Amino acid sequence: MRAPLVILILILLAVLALVGYNSGWFGSPPVPGAGPPGTPTASGATTPSGPAAEPEEPVGDGGVEQLPDEAQPQPAADPAKTPDAPSAGSFGHFPAGDLIAKSGSGYLDRTVWSPDLCFPFAEAAFANSQVYGAGGGMGPKDKPSQCDSSNYSLPWRDNFCESRGYASPLCVSGKGHQGQDIRPATCKKDLHWVVAAEAGIITDVGTYTVTLTGAAPPHRVYRYLHMRMNQLAVKEGDSVQAGANLGKASNDFGGTPTTIHMHFEIRSGVAGTSTDGKAVKLHTFLPPYQSLVAAYDRKRAGQACH
Amino acid sequence: MRSPSIRALIAAGAALTCVTASAQTTPTRPALTRPGVLAAPATVDPGARPPSPDGIDWRGAVGGLRQSGNTGPGLGRGLDPAAVDKTKLPILLPADADLMGGARLYSFGDYYSITANLSGARVSLTGAAETTPLPAGSKLNLPAVGPEQLVVQRTVDGQLASFVRYGVLYTVELRCDAPSDARCRTEGFVRGLVAKSTVVVMGKAARQAAGLGA
Ligand SMILES: [Zn+2]
Repeated sequence: MRAPLVILILILLAVLALVGYNSGWFGSPPVPGAGPPGTPTASGATTPSGPAAEPEEPVGDGGVEQLPDEAQPQPAADPAKTPDAPSAGSFGHFPAGDLIAKSGSGYLDRTVWSPDLCFPFAEAAFANSQVYGAGGGMGPKDKPSQCDSSNYSLPWRDNFCESRGYASPLCVSGKGHQGQDIRPATCKKDLHWVVAAEAGIITDVGTYTVTLTGAAPPHRVYRYLHMRMNQLAVKEGDSVQAGANLGKASNDFGGTPTTIHMHFEIRSGVAGTSTDGKAVKLHTFLPPYQSLVAAYDRKRAGQACH
Repeated sequence: MRSPSIRALIAAGAALTCVTASAQTTPTRPALTRPGVLAAPATVDPGARPPSPDGIDWRGAVGGLRQSGNTGPGLGRGLDPAAVDKTKLPILLPADADLMGGARLYSFGDYYSITANLSGARVSLTGAAETTPLPAGSKLNLPAVGPEQLVVQRTVDGQLASFVRYGVLYTVELRCDAPSDARCRTEGFVRGLVAKSTVVVMGKAARQAAGLGA
């Protein structure tokens, strides 16, 4: 009596599964030979897995994070300061504030704003510019692919205060990129885990954003953008430990995909002085680069997150 | 020909497994029940108020609590009562019953974060007792600082407003699902939310810190 009903349910599930598979609900098939990535070296020896172009979703659209009406004139960097050289013994990276030429002012800040930051990727990763790098909307014309090896090798490059129309009060013009863009170990989306920067609570999940609020004072707010949102390991209200899986690096951006990367922000309440000399308290964006460098050094040394 | 069917059946099994697995995941979000929001007493004895090393203007906050009248308990009805009681800050809410209905409070004691839903967007409200000093050489490039140090910042997905009241750094943030959403591309909507952020709610820890008794 119930056999036809069971068969009908199975058929419905099969149809749903096929639709889901073709829509990417279950993620991409495993990458052959995609083992743990090599640890980056000062010579930038980590090898990308090659282009990950998918027929239904062409890559190379890295200008999306900078909307057309948000192109900004390039403010000059503060001439009174020069970037520090990276410390000896660290991995290959440009100093904080040393952005790609004509990509923005940068911010010459050496403060490690999150001293115990857990590096927000489970594997190797590459901090650099997704708009001004290869395959980006403002990138070099002779390097049209976001999977270009230059994006997936050392050295890292800061892109806080890169040219944007968004507010970023620590930047010279008061506007600029509010975080650091980080590419995963390989140019393959929905594969590489993004993890919690510190213990806390997931206080918001949007259509392409995840917000983690740190449990310990000063309760920094970490924002993660562009993960594969239908495959998140967390939901709003979850408590997470430092290093816990949150989701997989992807290119979700509210409908129109961006490049495969994770945009990472550190926000906090700060007390400072405005350019006209007034004392002010506000909640704003802090440069993540130095914290990321220090966290990556700890990761490379095998230190666990806590 | 066989491959898609087999794949589909495998995927169907996987889907069922996922559904079962997710059903077994224990949510950490507290149950939404009636909060223990307490009304302000008719009078406050200033002599009973402890000093305020936390830098919070509790006298002002209690004034705000009184002005809120019965609005606070009504608006805060959906907030987790244990989280309200744990929060050693005056919790500030927009006088907007639709927005606050179903809002979730995550409290760390000296910091809280509330998430509320709008159609196609979400609102986050935070309160912080402490701020981190910027290096002496750093200057904040702000277009305009309003009353109560109000600053509105455009974010990737919305608008972030922060201001200081009762010595507490509050934020009201709007985040839109679609980058093109007009509410998130201009400051008007979030400024409207700030303007109606007038309702003070205080749980046990805040009342105690304010000298109101628990
Ligand atoms: Zn970015």
